[in-house]
Amino acid sequence: MTASVLQWLGGGAMAVAAGFLAVSLPRRRARAEGRRVAWSSARAAIHDATVSRDASPAAVPEAERLLARAELLAAAGGGADAARAAAEHARRADGLWRAGR
Amino acid sequence: MTRVRRELLRWSLLAAAAAVLVVFLVAQRQSVEVSYGRSPSTAALPEGSAGELSDASVPSVEEMTALVAADPVVRLPGAVARWDERRVRAAIGDRATRILVAPPGLDEAERRRVRDVESAEIRIVGTEVSGGPYGASPDDLPGWRARFATADVTGPLLTLLATLHDQPVPPDGDDLRWREPTVPELAPVVTALRATGRYVGTGATLPRLPEKAAVAAFPDGAWFVVLPVQPYGEPLPAYGPALHRLAPDQPLVVMYGDWIEYHGPGAASFAEVAAASFYAQFGGRLGRYAYPQQNVLGAYLAQVTDVRYAGLFDRPLPYRPFDPLRVALPALPWIFAGCVAGFVVLSIRTVRGSGRRPADVGPGGTPARLAGLSALAVELSLLTDGRSDPALVRGVGRLRAARDAFDDGLPDRHVRELLADAAAELDDVARDVRMPGYRPDVYLRARLS
Repeated sequence: MTASVLQWLGGGAMAVAAGFLAVSLPRRRARAEGRRVAWSSARAAIHDATVSRDASPAAVPEAERLLARAELLAAAGGGADAARAAAEHARRADGLWRAGR
Repeated sequence: MTRVRRELLRWSLLAAAAAVLVVFLVAQRQSVEVSYGRSPSTAALPEGSAGELSDASVPSVEEMTALVAADPVVRLPGAVARWDERRVRAAIGDRATRILVAPPGLDEAERRRVRDVESAEIRIVGTEVSGGPYGASPDDLPGWRARFATADVTGPLLTLLATLHDQPVPPDGDDLRWREPTVPELAPVVTALRATGRYVGTGATLPRLPEKAAVAAFPDGAWFVVLPVQPYGEPLPAYGPALHRLAPDQPLVVMYGDWIEYHGPGAASFAEVAAASFYAQFGGRLGRYAYPQQNVLGAYLAQVTDVRYAGLFDRPLPYRPFDPLRVALPALPWIFAGCVAGFVVLSIRTVRGSGRRPADVGPGGTPARLAGLSALAVELSLLTDGRSDPALVRGVGRLRAARDAFDDGLPDRHVRELLADAAAELDDVARDVRMPGYRPDVYLRARLS
């Protein structure tokens, strides 16, 4: 009886730990992947915006401001939300420069 | 498909482990009852409900005190205890010891009244002898036999007197004498036993035999001879040995008053154990109260059943139904451990299985598309002018982002999104430079087919 207590306790702890890891590891992995995807999109958008700025004949202060903020966000790093915000700023700046051309 | 099945197996293993754990915990209910082979006896003697209280009562404390003052030995109506007056008187000597004898079966309040008669140095309730702070009761078979067969309390009385007066305690003796039953005595007993298996003497308080207890104690049947309490001082008729000679293979229970004897097969090893355990356990109550013989016999038979089921005498046990839980209980921890191990292994495979999957390297795959669009960008770069340069640069930027994403192992969907953006930019460029052959759809179809 006393010997099998170890089995029950150890088995129960292992089952709980395995269940916890089986749920948490994929979730963490998915979150990290989502973050990297978001930053990849953001960097591409910022690159688009810089190209549009270089090609734009006129200065657009509002777009400059938006792009600066996007680059600041990108430089600071952060989570997926920060990346999405940076991408949004860069896209709007890109749109402004293209329209101002 | 296999993935769904593996998930199903994984969770059912966890459910099985939980079920095993629950079964194990439920099976842990402990019981204080320990019996070899689950004896079916019912040996409990419920307080008050077993007819142990008699109709006899006692006068008030003052009346009893007056009685005790008038006479050194007071026998209240219904008193049963007897003793060897010569030896007791010799033990008392010239002291003024007073003895109060009360009937058995008094309730708690009546017994307290007897105790409150302070002038009585020795009080006897039923056959329970007490005096001062002491109580005296026999502790061996001859003592119990004398006390319960003939209500003889000589031994406890002498012991108590010696203790109260700081004198050496006299050794226990067996004063009970036996005689051979006469032929006229024996004849009706034998006739009744041969006819019905029981003989109830005149005056015995046994309206009917406790049949269930009798069958449990003696499955092959037994003879029962039930006699009332025997008169003190006369030899007892030894029915047991006489009947045993008549029918040596027949279990025989002889009851004199509250004293029960067993004769028959296995008596040498069995009778003493049964009697000693029974009177050691119930002797105090039997002496104090006035149980009907029926209840005493029922309790004795239950004790016999317990002794039989105690496994002391290599008797075969009755059939016990197969209990799967009891058989499986030692294996439960291992089943549980197995279920947990399976769950852990499948969980590990699930976690690892959700990692990256190899990219499609065929002609429609992402790497081929990336390579094709890169080649298209190089070709278009020769044709662009200031108006279409930004689109080309943006397309090239998207292609580089797609390559980085692909190298980082980001999901295929994201890489394809970036490639689609790049293709859209290059499409603009191709339209600007008026080269329909360089539109990505057309170009890739030609290159990758």
